[in-house]
Amino acid sequence: MKKVQRQSVFLACFLLAGLFLLTGCDSEHRFVKRTAFKGTNQIVITFAGPVDEPWAKKLDHYTVYEKSDPDILLGLAGVALSQDKATVTLTFRETLNQEQPHVLAVKEIMSQGTSQGTALLTVKKAYLGYLLSVLLGAMIIKNFVFTKYLGLCVFFGTSQKKSTAVGMGVTFTLVMVVSAMMSWFMYQFVLKPFRLDFLQIVVFIGLVSLSVQAVDTILRKVNPALFKAFGVYLVLVIANCIILAVPLILANSEYNALESLMLAVGAGGGFLIALFLMSSVRERLEVANVPPTYRGLPIAFITAGLFALAFMGFSGMSLF
Amino acid sequence: MDPILVTSALIALAVLGCIGLLFGIGLALAAQKFAVKANPKVEEVLEVLAGAQ
Repeated sequence: MKKVQRQSVFLACFLLAGLFLLTGCDSEHRFVKRTAFKGTNQIVITFAGPVDEPWAKKLDHYTVYEKSDPDILLGLAGVALSQDKATVTLTFRETLNQEQPHVLAVKEIMSQGTSQGTALLTVKKAYLGYLLSVLLGAMIIKNFVFTKYLGLCVFFGTSQKKSTAVGMGVTFTLVMVVSAMMSWFMYQFVLKPFRLDFLQIVVFIGLVSLSVQAVDTILRKVNPALFKAFGVYLVLVIANCIILAVPLILANSEYNALESLMLAVGAGGGFLIALFLMSSVRERLEVANVPPTYRGLPIAFITAGLFALAFMGFSGMSLF
Repeated sequence: MDPILVTSALIALAVLGCIGLLFGIGLALAAQKFAVKANPKVEEVLEVLAGAQ
């Protein structure tokens, strides 16, 4: 019992450290607490203490440019100081492209008559939010089954019973994460340097079968109970086109490792959700009075169409 | 044939061959390391049965 507790404490510390690494500490200057975008054309700087009003109101003290274009300085329209004099809001003439990180130089910060030095700050969107939007986008907004119509054969084949559906979904997610990460690594560090992008489909198919075979071999020995639960689904995963679509998307959109992981988890989770929803409805349909012509697959196709219509409601949504 | 195409094809063959060999050896080693002892009687019994399914 004690060992389990210690392990969980270790795990919690590890996760917390990872979270801090991801979000960053933003301590680029000792007198600047936080910088963030606000609205479409504003940047908010929070200082650690009150700053002098005459200094803060002068536009010359702020220089802002996009990190990729240091030559193009963005035009400032105005500066506002908050009541407690610790927060400065910069308003720009044009809307800011918030996908790009911006560099903000604040000259000679004056606080109660003393200079705090010049600060060179980076303003960017919260990365964790962006990762979450990739995850939720792949899972719900751009669900592979209901909005891209991929993986339909496995989807109809294994969605008759809830237990089967969940088993398939979990197995699929596991293999998906393994193979997507391997494909990403392979594409970035082997295919791209050797200029072999045209072979990506061949390589990705090979990697998918490799990861399925590896999971099969290892799981059979390490966890026979889980292997038995996965059973036939593990082999079915190879015949799924979502598992090939994800590496191709990763290769096209130049995601980094973390974003790729999020997309893979999202695609797997989305497939799991789709399977679970569908199997719930199909279990209910078993006892419904369906006209004989529609019994079985036809009514399943109609249900899938209705689900797709419902998922269309999410289309075009943007998070964070 | 354009020599550039030939070299790129040769590079592709070499790289893919290496990848395949590497992963093949990896899988073979994994299969050896994680080998599961199967009961030989299971196979014998299956052989004797009709095997319609």
